[in-house]
Amino acid sequence: MSEREPTVIARTVTRTVVPIILVTAIALLLRGHNLPGGGFIAGVLTVTAFALVYVIYGSDVVERDLVRVAPSFEREFPGAADVYGATFAAGLAVAAGSGLTAILLGHPFLTQGVVFVEHLPLYGELEVASAFAFDVGVYLVVVGALLTIISVVGAE
Amino acid sequence: MQPSAGVLFAALALPFLGAAVAPVVYRLLGERTAYVAAAIALTCFGLLATQYGAQGSVSLPWIPALGVSFTLYLDGLSLLIGFLASGVGVLVFTYSGGYMHGEPGQAKYYATMLAFMGAMLGVALAADLIALFLFWELTSVASYLLIGHYQREERSQYAARKSMLVTVAGGLFMLVGFLLLASVSGDALPAHTFTLIGTQGSMLANAAAMRHALEARGLFVPVLLLLGVGAAAKSAQVPLHIWLPDAMEAPTPVSAFLHSATMVKAGVYLVGRFRPLLLSEEWMLLFVALGLVTMTVTAILAVGATDIKELLAYSTASHLGLIVAGFGVSTVIGAETGVFHILNHAVFKATLFLVAGIVAHEAGTRAIEDLGGLRHDMPIVAGITTVAALGMAGVPPFNGFYSKELLFDATYEVAAHDGGLTWLLPAVAVFGSVFTFLYSIRFLSLFFGEKPEGLHAHRPPLSMLAPPLLLAVVAAAIGAVPQAAVDAIVGTAVQSTTVAAVHDVHVGLPTALTPPVLMSAVTIGLGGVAYPFYDRLHRGVRRLRAVSLVSPDWYYDALLAGANDASDLVPRHLHTGVLRTYAGALFAGVAVLVLAGYAAGAVVLPAATGLALSVPTILVLLVAVVGAVAVGRAPSHVAGVLTLSILGFMVAVFYVLAQAPDLALTQLVIETLVLVIFLLVLDKLPAFYGEGADRRVAVDAAVALAVGVTVALTVLLATGATPADPIFTFFLERGGVPAEHGRFLLDFGGGANVVNVILVDFRAFDTMGEISVVSMAALAVLTLLGMRERGESQ
Repeated sequence: MSEREPTVIARTVTRTVVPIILVTAIALLLRGHNLPGGGFIAGVLTVTAFALVYVIYGSDVVERDLVRVAPSFEREFPGAADVYGATFAAGLAVAAGSGLTAILLGHPFLTQGVVFVEHLPLYGELEVASAFAFDVGVYLVVVGALLTIISVVGAE
Repeated sequence: MQPSAGVLFAALALPFLGAAVAPVVYRLLGERTAYVAAAIALTCFGLLATQYGAQGSVSLPWIPALGVSFTLYLDGLSLLIGFLASGVGVLVFTYSGGYMHGEPGQAKYYATMLAFMGAMLGVALAADLIALFLFWELTSVASYLLIGHYQREERSQYAARKSMLVTVAGGLFMLVGFLLLASVSGDALPAHTFTLIGTQGSMLANAAAMRHALEARGLFVPVLLLLGVGAAAKSAQVPLHIWLPDAMEAPTPVSAFLHSATMVKAGVYLVGRFRPLLLSEEWMLLFVALGLVTMTVTAILAVGATDIKELLAYSTASHLGLIVAGFGVSTVIGAETGVFHILNHAVFKATLFLVAGIVAHEAGTRAIEDLGGLRHDMPIVAGITTVAALGMAGVPPFNGFYSKELLFDATYEVAAHDGGLTWLLPAVAVFGSVFTFLYSIRFLSLFFGEKPEGLHAHRPPLSMLAPPLLLAVVAAAIGAVPQAAVDAIVGTAVQSTTVAAVHDVHVGLPTALTPPVLMSAVTIGLGGVAYPFYDRLHRGVRRLRAVSLVSPDWYYDALLAGANDASDLVPRHLHTGVLRTYAGALFAGVAVLVLAGYAAGAVVLPAATGLALSVPTILVLLVAVVGAVAVGRAPSHVAGVLTLSILGFMVAVFYVLAQAPDLALTQLVIETLVLVIFLLVLDKLPAFYGEGADRRVAVDAAVALAVGVTVALTVLLATGATPADPIFTFFLERGGVPAEHGRFLLDFGGGANVVNVILVDFRAFDTMGEISVVSMAALAVLTLLGMRERGESQ
């Protein structure tokens, strides 16, 4: 990809920042229902982290160390595209599945509900929303699709 | 009596079912599929025969919620066409058993022929305009497939394409006419409808009201012309007759079925059906002129034919012109002419085409000058041809004479009534009939006279001999006792095409020497006198045809060549491979359409009521504007992307100031991602932009400005709209957690972030669609770009 080696500064900053970005993304995903955030924002932020690693370290590092797949020349898909493809397929399945669960319980497709779990040790009362499953589906789709595009275009 | 729904729908559905199973039947029975098909046609004929004398409509509810039902209507005229379609179908299928022996592609042939028969029955029985149009176009498609039966032959391809282009183009004109009629029906009838006939609220039941409404809107003549073009294209009227001679590339049974007895009759059927609705001075002018001109011109062209099927093709167009002219005359005799000749022409023309097929099959050639004296080898066929050809010529006591006599009667009456220029009508009718006589006798003379050297003809097999024999017997019967045929079927059919009530229709051999009888005598006399000079006439016509200026064929070919050349320009200018072309065309097109929509809708911009922005917001937006200007002036890609990011981040800050944190977060992450991705491709791009050509820069600036104006207007108009009952109140009420709640909560969103609740709960289905689209985009990138190297370059 890049003929110039990334500088030490770039590599060190990336190595420090990427985990923070990933944690922030997960946090945004979890709190999306009640505070600004949600599946789409979390997904894009996760992709940003991966994209940063792609740019600074190169696709080999991503495939070998992050996603843990065999090197490119042994595979029929460029980069880790099949793993990413599986990700967004899983996301679609989760999203559709969460909608179908509502049908199994006798409600229209994609009806969401909330359960209040009480008497928990630290939290007291916890509100668990079924919409979270749908949000996770959205998250996986965004991550998988955008990473597919980046890995394919980046491999050009 | 009311027709039976089951019978009519069965008669319509049976041929289509037969077409669907024809390939399987062919696999099992081989060439005997022909007789199965004939049995299907016979069943349809029988089903229709049980409904003889019935009149009325039947319907099948289709979409009850929209009040749409599939309606069929039966009366004399549709029964006549239905009998022709199924009756001639039986004979043609039987004939095909012998003719198509050893030919390739028979499974396709029988399937398409059966589908065509079903479509023709649909045209005859359809009660509303949409169904009529559907079946009409289905017959065009079936005709295309059948004409192109010998798929690899270039001439067949050319002929099939030509027939398709001409008839379908005509069909489109007709469709516009139908849509205009339907839109007018809203004014004239109790309810807007597409139903042509059969119910109380149909167009034909309220013909006078429809006519007033059409004239009030000034649409009468346009509708008349549009329907006329559609009918003319289908029925090969001048100058749209060019496809019919080329259609003779099809196997002869196809020519006998489609291009003489049934499909080309669809056009004149349309003329007959609409006659009660649109009969007027303009109608008479249009159709009498069209019909008589066609009758004469194509009769002259038939004299110039060198191939027996070519002669018969031009002759078909000529007789269809006769029918159209008959329907054009506004008196009842005109309607009688049209309907009776539909029957007569179908009977003798199908016979002659089948005979032509026999000649081609057994003598090996179709060239007129190579044939002669065939009666020695095929005496029965000679007898058949005598009956049919003399009927075509209009010689008493054969069937064609009576309908031609009615035409002479009709035109003479008009001329005697109106005088002046209308004396042209009977004159032209006689002139055309002379040529009709000439070519008919020429065809007959194939069987008489001397046999040329080297011509060997075999006897035809029974499967090929029986159908034309049966048709000739029918023709002779009609010729012998025409009144019986009229009482049986023609009389009721005429009632469908007239405005006034019809009293008894009388036909018979002439008993007194009236002017129409004189016209017939003059025709036969002149024909007999001119016949010895046939060869000279033939050569003269051929020389005339070679002049390209008067040949519609030349115009057709030139038009097609021009269209091909023009379409070569499109890839050169549109598919340049440069991103700017695609992006520019897309943006410019969208902007133009949206602005045109606003202009057409005469939208009113909300008035500016003052500045409601706080100072921080104004500052942020100013920085954004500065960023935008900087983008335009950036000298390199890096600078361009960075300044674009400034713009994006300023918009995000604006969202924060406007108290939309979710939107701000989304904007921020997207900007960041775009910036990071840009770094991926940074190395591959040139460091600095080049000098842009002034013209290109100006075009780019114009497109950018248009897009900007469009988006600004859209935002203003969208936010200025204030519906009476906005939905956001519902979302805000139901989005959060209510004060009192149990363990499970279903009716409320249960979240404090209303944007997220809308996305995953209230509008979850939309989000489902969006993530599907994102996945599809990723798949597209993966297959189009990523798998290129694998050689999947289809």
